[in-house]
Amino acid sequence: MGQAVGLYLHIPFCQKKCDYCDFYSVPGGDERAKQTYTKALAAHLTETAPALTRHTVDTVYFGGGTPPVLGLGPLHTLMDIIRRRFPLAAGAEITLEANPGVVDDKLLKKLRREGFNRLSLGVQSLEDDTLALLGRVHNARQAQSAFEGARAAGFDNIGVDLLYGLPGQTVEEWRATLREIVAWGPEHISCYGLKLEEGTPLWRDRADYAFPDDDAQADQYLAAVSILEENGYLHYEISNFARPGRVSRHNLKYWTLAPYIGLGPSACSDFGGRRWSYVRDLEAYVGGMLGDGDVLHEMEELPPEARAAEYLMLRLRTADGVSGNEYVRLYKGNFEPVERVLEARAAHGFARSEGNRWRLTPKGFLVSNRIIADVLEARTEGP
Amino acid sequence: MVKQDRLRNFCIIAHIDHGKSTLADRLIEATHAVAQREMADQILDNMELERERGITIKARAVRLDYTAADGQAYVLNLIDTPGHVDFNYEVSRSLAACEGALLVVDAAQGIEAQTLANTYLALEHDLEVLPILNKIDLPSADPERAAQEVEHVIGLPALGAPRVSAKLGQGIDAVLEAVVSGIPAPAGDPGAPLRALIFDSQYDSYRGVIVYIRLMEGRLRPGQAIRMMETGAVFEVVETGVLRPLGMEPCADGLAAGEVGYFTASIKTVRETQVGDTVTDDARPAARPLPGYRRVQPMVFSGVYPADGAKYPDLRDALDKLKLNDASLTFEPETSVALGYGFRCGFLGLLHMEIIQERLEREYNLDLITTAPSVIYKIHKTDGETALIDNPLNYPNPTELDYPEEPFVKANVLTPSAYVGSIMDLCQERRGTFRDMKYLDADRVEMHYDLPLGEIIYDFFDALKSRTRGYASLDYEFSEYRKSDLVKLDVLLNGDPVDALSFIVHTDKAYPRARRIAEKLKDNIPRQMFEVPVQVAVGGKIIARETVKALRKDVLAKCYGGDITRKKKLLEKQKEGKKRMRSLGSVEVPQEAFMAVLKLDEN
Repeated sequence: MGQAVGLYLHIPFCQKKCDYCDFYSVPGGDERAKQTYTKALAAHLTETAPALTRHTVDTVYFGGGTPPVLGLGPLHTLMDIIRRRFPLAAGAEITLEANPGVVDDKLLKKLRREGFNRLSLGVQSLEDDTLALLGRVHNARQAQSAFEGARAAGFDNIGVDLLYGLPGQTVEEWRATLREIVAWGPEHISCYGLKLEEGTPLWRDRADYAFPDDDAQADQYLAAVSILEENGYLHYEISNFARPGRVSRHNLKYWTLAPYIGLGPSACSDFGGRRWSYVRDLEAYVGGMLGDGDVLHEMEELPPEARAAEYLMLRLRTADGVSGNEYVRLYKGNFEPVERVLEARAAHGFARSEGNRWRLTPKGFLVSNRIIADVLEARTEGP
Repeated sequence: MVKQDRLRNFCIIAHIDHGKSTLADRLIEATHAVAQREMADQILDNMELERERGITIKARAVRLDYTAADGQAYVLNLIDTPGHVDFNYEVSRSLAACEGALLVVDAAQGIEAQTLANTYLALEHDLEVLPILNKIDLPSADPERAAQEVEHVIGLPALGAPRVSAKLGQGIDAVLEAVVSGIPAPAGDPGAPLRALIFDSQYDSYRGVIVYIRLMEGRLRPGQAIRMMETGAVFEVVETGVLRPLGMEPCADGLAAGEVGYFTASIKTVRETQVGDTVTDDARPAARPLPGYRRVQPMVFSGVYPADGAKYPDLRDALDKLKLNDASLTFEPETSVALGYGFRCGFLGLLHMEIIQERLEREYNLDLITTAPSVIYKIHKTDGETALIDNPLNYPNPTELDYPEEPFVKANVLTPSAYVGSIMDLCQERRGTFRDMKYLDADRVEMHYDLPLGEIIYDFFDALKSRTRGYASLDYEFSEYRKSDLVKLDVLLNGDPVDALSFIVHTDKAYPRARRIAEKLKDNIPRQMFEVPVQVAVGGKIIARETVKALRKDVLAKCYGGDITRKKKLLEKQKEGKKRMRSLGSVEVPQEAFMAVLKLDEN
């Protein structure tokens, strides 16, 4: 079998857009729009399939947006094309993103039966006030019942997404949230620091809220790392934790430079030595796919030189980190200047090494933008 | 050749903004309109061109033809003077080239510090000073009051002084008549050995240095061998001429005693044509040079470094070019552990320093880091040696130091009386000693202080302006070196001394200064990967300390398919930001931090 490829489908519909979100999605969306979109995405899938005949597809990820909002029928249509036309590997990881409040027990059963075997649940917080100010459509109780419903429906691989750095959130509250989530027993937990994205409602109203400062957020992050590691979760990427064997295989592709193809508006692909993305506009995408317009947003060729930089930038996000041997083998690069920067950082506890494999520590992950920038600079300036 | 009794050599003196340049413009226009009406348009066009090219001939001297009310044709030489205390010596040489001066006084504002300073300077040179009351078009103008002030304060008859609006062109004829009737014609024997005063010079890449002169005695012709009496350099005159608004007008007959003009002699650099030097005939030299020559000495020194170390050769070229036209600028290579290769530059004063820095940045497109300005300290060492030190780096250890001396100036502040108290506070804070004060009238006061120059060169002028709502004016001149009690402050970042941030301060000021510097640096240095102690020390003893907290969080929490391209762009931006930082040891310091320590008075 050929190279394993990830397949991403962007479902840009939500019941309601959250106040902090800057992903590409359209709130509401009538049935017609969803049907037309399904047609467009189906066409895109069909058109893409021949390119993958010599590969296998070992991960599929329906992200959004809130994919269940598309409806069972359309999701079936898309899954059907994937099963029939793509070289889907046995035991492929097939993830569906969902939000509590849009999935009930019955729907979860049907989704499981449809073939989704991993659920990524956007819980975000267990404080109802906070959920309300974030513009979430659910409360904490609904989140827990969605989780339990998913278990009952047979999902044995569930990820929970959480946010820290929330208005008014103390480290203690955050610890309590983590402990409760751990008690639910999800296979996977993602902890994201809330980032105020320009133009979002939360950004506009930012003056009304007391956000934890950088120091407090750093404390929250380190608290998450220690609680989750104590409870048997592996910290495998800056923001991601999983039980052994339950890492998100799809997401891991992003950080290990494995190939993937993303379909839908704003979706990105890394395949065949190129990185490209499609227009961030539902109408333009649908119009392009169903007519003969252009749906490409941008594309870049990635010479080995650029790849080497991406390797350092993305691998340093992971627990595996970067390996000098691998770097030299894959990119014929000089690892020495990179190693010098990391050695200097290690002296302050930001990085550590085994042989010439280097990874960042949790403290290092927190300032990874700087470290990565320094590494990349050293690389271009090095001998 | 012009008959001496038809010649008038004069300058215009004024406080800044009192309308000196506008009046000069009007005089040029008025005389051209009379003598060369048909050429008026062309003249103005050409002058515009000159302005664009930055060669304002009239900024040096200009020869005007004027037919006076008595029906006689006169030649008027208007010599311009720089209007700032930094250029006092240049002003004095311009004055020495004249027999009279027009004292322009703003009829709304009255006398200011520079008005007085320039007037005294003009009177010292035995110039006939004619007051002109300008800006009578302003609603707030009170020419009577201004005239009384001039009579009362300076003792010059001013009640009959011309009332002028240079802006509107009113009263210009009265000014020209005053020049003819009020200013004496030059004297001086054309048959005596040549003595010509250099009052300015300018480098021209085609002709070499153009030397601006006033002939006191004798004659000057093309082909003549001349000698600079101070430098001893000998040249053969190539061209002589007079200065017109249009440009230079050669006259093959040469120039004679009493006249103002220029000559060229294939001179390579302005250093050979020192302002104030006397030009004489090489074959028949004068017995004595003209009085008043002084070698121009820079008063303020500062390290100038390229922000990008690779631009060092560009900086050197730029300084070389500026030096061609500016004999008072000095520079020599300097190395700083913190900033790398740069130059120690000497300036006449703060304004001169700012002008040079701005020209380097704008005309030569250089990003600069400049260190805190320093004066020249006279150091008496325990071994009996004395040394002049213009760089804190060279300040000796306390054990080698017997005692230091620092330069003092006589400062003259003119202010509305309401601000006397706050000016006294300011001068006291700056270690000034009060000499006396004089009420010019009911609400205007002239205050005299002795101040250390080192206290003036930071932000004294800004502080003075802000404490007096901009009403007070300042003038000062060097007086003497005085024994003082000084220490060198060293700044340490992360334990490492940063030589470029060292400076010398009076012992009494050491603690508060040290604390302010530490605070300023803390505020201006961004968080780094580790905690950075900011310490200020005197001779190894830490007297102030702040801490730049360690950077805790700079992370992209989410990085999935779509974020990767964005993240790469972000990294590029970060790289650009880093370029504006200077690595001092392990600490990244932005350029602004170097500037911030200069402005310690702000809150």
